[in-house]
Amino acid sequence: MALKFLIVDDSVTMRRIVINSLKTIGHESFVEAADGREAMQKLTVDESINFVITDWNMPEVSGLELVKAVRSNPKLESIPILMVTTRGMKEDIVEALQAKVNNYIVKPFTPQILREKIEAIVITAA
Amino acid sequence: MEAKTNMQHLFDKLGDLKSFFVYGQKLVPIFQKIIDFMHETVPLLENVNQSIQESTSKIPKAAHQLDNVSSATEVATTEILDVVDGVSNDLQAIQARLKSLESKLTAKEESIAKLVARYPNDPDVGNIFKTGANSAALDDDVNSMIQMVDKIQEGMMNITLSLQVQDITAQQLLSVNHMITSIQSRLSSLLVDLGGKETKELPGQEFELSNNTAFNPDARYDRNHNHQVLADTLAAENSIKTSQKEIDKLFANK
Repeated sequence: MALKFLIVDDSVTMRRIVINSLKTIGHESFVEAADGREAMQKLTVDESINFVITDWNMPEVSGLELVKAVRSNPKLESIPILMVTTRGMKEDIVEALQAKVNNYIVKPFTPQILREKIEAIVITAA
Repeated sequence: MEAKTNMQHLFDKLGDLKSFFVYGQKLVPIFQKIIDFMHETVPLLENVNQSIQESTSKIPKAAHQLDNVSSATEVATTEILDVVDGVSNDLQAIQARLKSLESKLTAKEESIAKLVARYPNDPDVGNIFKTGANSAALDDDVNSMIQMVDKIQEGMMNITLSLQVQDITAQQLLSVNHMITSIQSRLSSLLVDLGGKETKELPGQEFELSNNTAFNPDARYDRNHNHQVLADTLAAENSIKTSQKEIDKLFANK
């Protein structure tokens, strides 16, 4: 199944880097959002989005709040979420996993790491 | 009898009063020293007050400068990404042409092989075709060019990935800005407590950190990926726990 990604990050630079990395590993379909609130709006409107890659530290609605909002929404709860963030402390990672992110990447990342995590999530979901 | 008791009581009180005055006389030099000390500290406090006022008024400028650095690096990063994207697109086009050339060369070689096969008794025919086409050397050239383009593409991707440093340093700068604006706020209130006026920023230098800004004060550009190893370990542990919970839930239902 082709994946349509929602890339959520307040940094335009980071969104471009994530999209460029996804392109190098063969993905082609992307939607962007600058924070958790915009991401929820896009998820509600665009039902074809089937994978979320989100940052944690964002204005308005953070990545962690987005994860909690998605997981508590019956229509969206099963959508895979990969968190890509600068937060690498143990307590942060545990908090994100408890909020039910499917996997966790600490910036700076490489396309190889991105590919591994996406494949692991897709295989587990299938 | 009662009058005598009252008088005794009065004498006792007067005795207490006398002791108090004697003690008070001893305290007078100490009080004098305290007053002298306070007089001496007034210029010192005024100096402290002025220093705080000066330092506090410079903070918004420093905060602005840090903010400008962050914005400038974001603009520069976007420009670099534009160039990298342009070069990558050109490289993709070159790669596509080289691959097309490679398949044309393969087709040419196949045609030559067919022609040579038509004249099995004349070895000169095959030699003439092969020498004229010189396709083996061309094949090598095309292959090495494809490899070079792949290497440049890899380099372009590495540049893109290194630009993640912009996001990380922007968060570090935001964290520093948050810290210095907090110091400014503390210094301002200290200044008011010391009897000074609240500092006012110079026109155009007002700086207020938006409540919406989100940053990680511990953001680090660490290419050793030690934190990623920790994240992978914790994710694996979490996955095992989740699976166990699902198994337990499954058996509980039966």
